[in-house]
Amino acid sequence: MKLKKILIALLVGTLLVGMLTSCSKGENNQASSDIGQENQGTKKEEKKETVRLKFFTGKIETIDLMNEIINDFNQSQNRIIVEQEYQKDASNIIKIKFAADQAPDIMTTYEQGFADQGKYLDLSDQSDLWNRLTPAMKEACTDIKTGKQYRIATNMTMAGFFYNKELFNDLGLDVATTWEEFEKNLETIKSERPDITPWFIFGSEAWHLGHLIEFIPHGYIKQTLGAVEAKKAMLDNDHSKLNFGAADGPMAQFAGKMLDLLQKGYINEDVLTATNDNCVQDFVNGRAAMLSNGMWILSSLLEANPEMEDKIGFAPYPSYMPNSSPVVLSAEDSGYSISATTEYKEEAIEFLNFLFSAENQKKYSELSKAPSAFTDVDADWAPENIVNEVSYAVANAVNIGFTNEKPAGFSGDDAGRMVQELLAGKYNAEEFAIAYENAWDSGMN
Amino acid sequence: MNKMLNLMRKFTIIFICLLCMLPFVVLLILSLNTPKRVFYEGNMFIPDFYVMNYVEGWKKSNIGNAMVNSAIITIIALAIIIIISAMAGYTISRFNYKFNKIIFAILLSCMMIPGIINTVPLYTLMIDLNAINTLWGMALVCATNALPQGVFVFSGFIRTIPKEIEESAIIDGCSYFTSFWRIVFPLLKPSISAIVILNGFGIWNNYSQAVFFLQDSRKHNVPQALSVYFQQFAGAKWNLMAATAVIAIIPVIIAFLLFQKNLMKGLTDGALKG
Amino acid sequence: MEKNKIGLHTFMALPAFALFSVFFIYPLIKGIGMSLTDWDGMSKASFIGLDNFRQFFGDERAINNIRTTVLFALGSAPLLNLVGLIYALLMNSRFKGKGLARMIIYLPAIISPLIMGYIWYLLLQPGRGFIYHFLEQMGKSSWFGNWLGSYGTAMLVLILVNVWQYAGMTMVIYLAGLQAIPEELYEAAKVDGATFPKRLFYITLPMLMPAIRINVVTNIIGSLSVFDIVMSLTSGGPGYATETLSIYIMRMSYGARTGYSTAVAIIMFFIILIPVLVSMWLTRVKSLD
Repeated sequence: MKLKKILIALLVGTLLVGMLTSCSKGENNQASSDIGQENQGTKKEEKKETVRLKFFTGKIETIDLMNEIINDFNQSQNRIIVEQEYQKDASNIIKIKFAADQAPDIMTTYEQGFADQGKYLDLSDQSDLWNRLTPAMKEACTDIKTGKQYRIATNMTMAGFFYNKELFNDLGLDVATTWEEFEKNLETIKSERPDITPWFIFGSEAWHLGHLIEFIPHGYIKQTLGAVEAKKAMLDNDHSKLNFGAADGPMAQFAGKMLDLLQKGYINEDVLTATNDNCVQDFVNGRAAMLSNGMWILSSLLEANPEMEDKIGFAPYPSYMPNSSPVVLSAEDSGYSISATTEYKEEAIEFLNFLFSAENQKKYSELSKAPSAFTDVDADWAPENIVNEVSYAVANAVNIGFTNEKPAGFSGDDAGRMVQELLAGKYNAEEFAIAYENAWDSGMN
Repeated sequence: MNKMLNLMRKFTIIFICLLCMLPFVVLLILSLNTPKRVFYEGNMFIPDFYVMNYVEGWKKSNIGNAMVNSAIITIIALAIIIIISAMAGYTISRFNYKFNKIIFAILLSCMMIPGIINTVPLYTLMIDLNAINTLWGMALVCATNALPQGVFVFSGFIRTIPKEIEESAIIDGCSYFTSFWRIVFPLLKPSISAIVILNGFGIWNNYSQAVFFLQDSRKHNVPQALSVYFQQFAGAKWNLMAATAVIAIIPVIIAFLLFQKNLMKGLTDGALKG
Repeated sequence: MEKNKIGLHTFMALPAFALFSVFFIYPLIKGIGMSLTDWDGMSKASFIGLDNFRQFFGDERAINNIRTTVLFALGSAPLLNLVGLIYALLMNSRFKGKGLARMIIYLPAIISPLIMGYIWYLLLQPGRGFIYHFLEQMGKSSWFGNWLGSYGTAMLVLILVNVWQYAGMTMVIYLAGLQAIPEELYEAAKVDGATFPKRLFYITLPMLMPAIRINVVTNIIGSLSVFDIVMSLTSGGPGYATETLSIYIMRMSYGARTGYSTAVAIIMFFIILIPVLVSMWLTRVKSLD
């Protein structure tokens, strides 16, 4: 009996030592261990010259559709196999991948810093694709520093205020164009319907507050300087043009107005803990009158309550500074880039062409509730009422884009966390503006 | 007087148990409500007993496959931790070699190094080893994370076992190595159970490293599968999310029930009394 | 005993060391090298000496993070030990349903932080959470405060949730220690007429030293490097009010400051090392020979 035990023990011991030495010895003999088999399949197929393309995405809403399209593509030929990797935190995970020299072949994440570092393949020569895109979208895809295109955006997205049309009609309210009117609207809602939140902000998610900065104060800068000048001013950190820190500048004015609304009770009391889900629920159940968001929230709203279809209104952000106009975000969405270091440039482009076919893009546009950037795609991207609302807003307000030219060390989430601090009472308006300018400056280095 | 104390003790224990169970009760109630129900309207504590949430959650999420992956990773990692850290713990607590002291000091100090410092180099290493998207690679990483604590616990417990116990075997002509497996290892039951319980669930629930090393959705572990599912269905479907969370918790509780029997037996045997 | 004779036993720590070298020390050395550079994860890194460290101590947010982290640990580590020990003393006797009670108390520790964060959010959200509605139905909604969203209370909530989740783990180790104390010691003490506090301070606590040591050290390390609970409950917010060092490290390394973030990790190592060494010295076990 005892002997048996010793034997077993010894066996386990030696097995282990064996396993470990093979481990530390090295990188290449992994396939010899039995658990390593999972990898062998891949290797064998590669010998038959099958190309495996890694497609990296952070877009949760399109996972299933992309799988379907990828599947069609993989079936349509026998040389290329595309694999999708989804990551919740894609914009961060991609940094680790770049740092480890493991860039995916195709990706949906795009940042100015990566473009500066030459991480993306120059797609300027894909004229077949660019000819199908609207000129405005091509311009939005162009890198301001080099004048080249490193990504192809397949869709447009808009952001502004979603509001409850029914409620607005009942109270006789009109869409506001100035901040005074806007505040007046909130006041009326508050006094006429005390149990309804006039403006719901889900501030537990820093990106949402970062977007408010992006659309309102940054929106003012982009509006007054013009898109290209604003981008340049941000890249050069031109204080005289950005004017972030000034007491009468766009940042301090924005901060002061937000604090004012919060204090008057026009914003939900639980702004710092409320989530996206809370916001959707309150809006579709009629407990919130307005929310700021982009088209990407539409499918959640309609799914949570299909009857909202005819009740959703869409409006630009009202002007809040002297001599300015209302703005609405109208920007590129769903950008695709190819890694500069990919071994399979041709194959990656072949897949993108498949993905960008009018037929696939119609599906894509309708699923993600975002109008297509391709002129030959005719998609019913949203219910008619909403399409009308959005086109009206876009036609009657200054259109701004996203700022990709932010400092590398000061992300939109960082900006959002500063707004959290503001709403939690850490700053007054002037202090906030100065803190914002400092954070922006130190993020430049 | 004594009776009073006993009664108080009982009430305290019941109170603590209720406190510990509250979140699970809420989760369970949510998971059994119909999608239409707003959970705080009416009597919160009586759910609708709507089981379809579970059916749908199981079908639409990748949770079944993820549980198999998590189980394989956990078992391999635990086996490695137990065997090699028990061996290390033995020689460290029994023999005063300089080499042993150095290893122990290194392991202990590394316990305090935040793992994030390794993210990029470890990622490159895993690629070089062809270990990305493999369960064994993930298991080795998880085993390494738990190794210092394992050695720490084992060496601590072995120190409390009187040396005389092996010495009789040594006199009979056994080597230290064999007498370790024959005599000391079986006495380590309590600390083995402790290691399983202290580390097993952490490995099962590992998210921060799985994100990097298990990218392929077929290789996702439980937290990854839940995270993807939660996001894909974020919005109105709290009940589905709760039901899937409950599905993910069930095997953990079963494993715990199985082990706690052994753990408690091992514990009552006691390291010193054994 | 021929202790110095070389045999297989001499090398029994080698497998552990080998595994650890490959998967921890080797990447670690590479990581430490990065802390002396300005690497952003993309372009070529250049050597900048100790600049990263200097930068850290000049950064208001970083210093505030040290404060937050230490505050959390000061609340959480002692409380965890105290609560764990009290639980263990309560449970260390025969009664019906003991196994069940033990399991229930341990239960919170085995659930993934992801689910845990989700559950607590559901419970604690002001105006919509379970606790709020429960109090509302009892007519006591004024008892509820915006605990997660206020500067003062967010940290307290985190400490309490952490204690709630891991007290069972601490308890199990204390229980193991308690059950290893020979019954005879207590019987002898009872014969001598020692009261409960006397038995606690002269028998239980000294005999419990190995368990105390494990618990204190693990809890100090765990509390000072806390990540999951903070991330899932407050994400370090509101603003940066509950941002701990480990969250800061993650955000810096994702924010294209890879070199800097490894420097912060090294600083964090020393912040953990000092209290651990002190507590190890305080709880050192006298040799049993």
